[in-house]
Amino acid sequence: MSTQVHHSSVKQYFASLANGISTTLKGMWITFRYVWAVKPVSIEYPEIREVLPERARMRLFNDTQNCISCTQCAMACPVDCIYIASEKLPEGTEIKKTSNGQSIRLKLNQFTIDTALCCYCGLCTTVCPTECLTHSHDYEFSAYTIDQMKYDYLAPDIVAWRDRIVK
Amino acid sequence: MQSRWDIGQPEKPTLNSDTEQLKSELLTLNMGPQHPATHGVLRIEIWTDSEIVAHAIPHLGYLHRSMEKHAENLDFRGVIPFVDRLDYLASMNMEWTYAMTIEKMLGTEVPRRAELLRILTGELQRIASHLMAFGTYALDLGAFSPFLYAFDYREKILRLFEEVSGARLLYNYIWIGGLWNDWTDEQLTRVGVFCDEMEEEAKKYHELVSMNRIFVERTANVGIMNIQDCLDFGASGPVLRGAGMKWDLRKNAPYSLYNEFDFDVPVGTGEVGQVGDCWNRYIVRMKEVGESIKIIRQVLEKLEPGPIMGKVPKVMKLPAGEVYVRAECPRGELAFHLVAKADEKTPYRLKVKSPCFTHTSMLPRVAPGQMIADFVATVGSIDIVLGEVDR
Repeated sequence: MSTQVHHSSVKQYFASLANGISTTLKGMWITFRYVWAVKPVSIEYPEIREVLPERARMRLFNDTQNCISCTQCAMACPVDCIYIASEKLPEGTEIKKTSNGQSIRLKLNQFTIDTALCCYCGLCTTVCPTECLTHSHDYEFSAYTIDQMKYDYLAPDIVAWRDRIVK
Repeated sequence: MQSRWDIGQPEKPTLNSDTEQLKSELLTLNMGPQHPATHGVLRIEIWTDSEIVAHAIPHLGYLHRSMEKHAENLDFRGVIPFVDRLDYLASMNMEWTYAMTIEKMLGTEVPRRAELLRILTGELQRIASHLMAFGTYALDLGAFSPFLYAFDYREKILRLFEEVSGARLLYNYIWIGGLWNDWTDEQLTRVGVFCDEMEEEAKKYHELVSMNRIFVERTANVGIMNIQDCLDFGASGPVLRGAGMKWDLRKNAPYSLYNEFDFDVPVGTGEVGQVGDCWNRYIVRMKEVGESIKIIRQVLEKLEPGPIMGKVPKVMKLPAGEVYVRAECPRGELAFHLVAKADEKTPYRLKVKSPCFTHTSMLPRVAPGQMIADFVATVGSIDIVLGEVDR
């Protein structure tokens, strides 16, 4: 645009013209090769789904049967999107064990994660002592209202995911 | 110093008739915040005289998330997800620099394997970032297909990153003291294969775009940031190197294990156009891709099994003091200035020195006298990410 090309001779004029045509054709040839020589890389999404890697961090899932209400995840969370409420077990109750042998000494009353706030950084899953809080591979959970993005992991319908989701 | 671009207000047209007086005034035009050529939410107020830009004022703040203030309320590990969101096209480098800042304060020794893998991820991220810069720059200038080719190859890097870290863009992978996960041998083999493919691909890009006559006409001798301007404004990275100065922190102030590696620092030579113009800034990036591949190959040779996490206290408390750590990111020198107080779990102050902010401030300097289309080329060539400008 602002480059002013001064052609001092006819020879230079034609050299410049040839350069323009040859480089353009070269580029067009590279692009044209894609018609048959290169396979498409895109995926037709709803029909064909990409297999996610093992460590992919999608929606959080808490297996509340193994949760000991230690609140370490809530403290590690940089955006404070995990809400935990628990109380002491009444005396004389049988103390259950988690799958890796830790005793559950508190009664978990609420375990809610606001996935609209969650930044999927994975810090909460790394501090979990019983490894009950994990990232699932579920990434399709759009909702109509922002309240629907809050998942209460003690609700029966979400507990039922356990068999489906837990890795 | 009077730059030859700094012409201030354009001259009024001379009129043939003495009686005829045309009124001439500048037209104010907003480029952005939703303009595709501004690479994010940057608003540039342009005063134009017909096609000529007389003055350009960048308006910032559309992506301001007060990250620096947020960091003051988070523990040192919790800052990393926020640091990711600075330059979201080069998150690995952001995390790495932040981790180095805290490690310098703690005096942590990072295991050798972790350091090498950090260099590997950092250089892969540099390639990914430069591919993005290449693709979008071609898109700015009207070529659509290079964008798709670049994204295809960037995707391969992102897939590798997704496998090791779990995320495609905001990784939270480089931790204070080491890394979150280790790379498997199979993944490292794929990195080697990728390097071979990328070298071939880079040649194709060179034929397709760099030497294309239309591209050269659009970028050569356009938006010249001369070396004096670059030094005055404090530019770094490809902008400074495109102006012909051989300055790369990996060479000039080696951090991590960069002094063990053999690579060149590409600078703008003016083989097309002149030193400091858009084409030279662009070609510096493309040559850096080649240098990064060189470094990655050396990393793959040097890698040995070992631990990937150094010793860091569980509850992190830094000694009182302050530290300033800088590193060479794809877009230039990123630096963190950390002030810590004794027995506090959060940073007292975390100042980010962002290269993109510096480069944005150079726009009013280069804009006067350009055509609007050339100004688009200039904005594209400095390759800014607004997440880092506004923080």
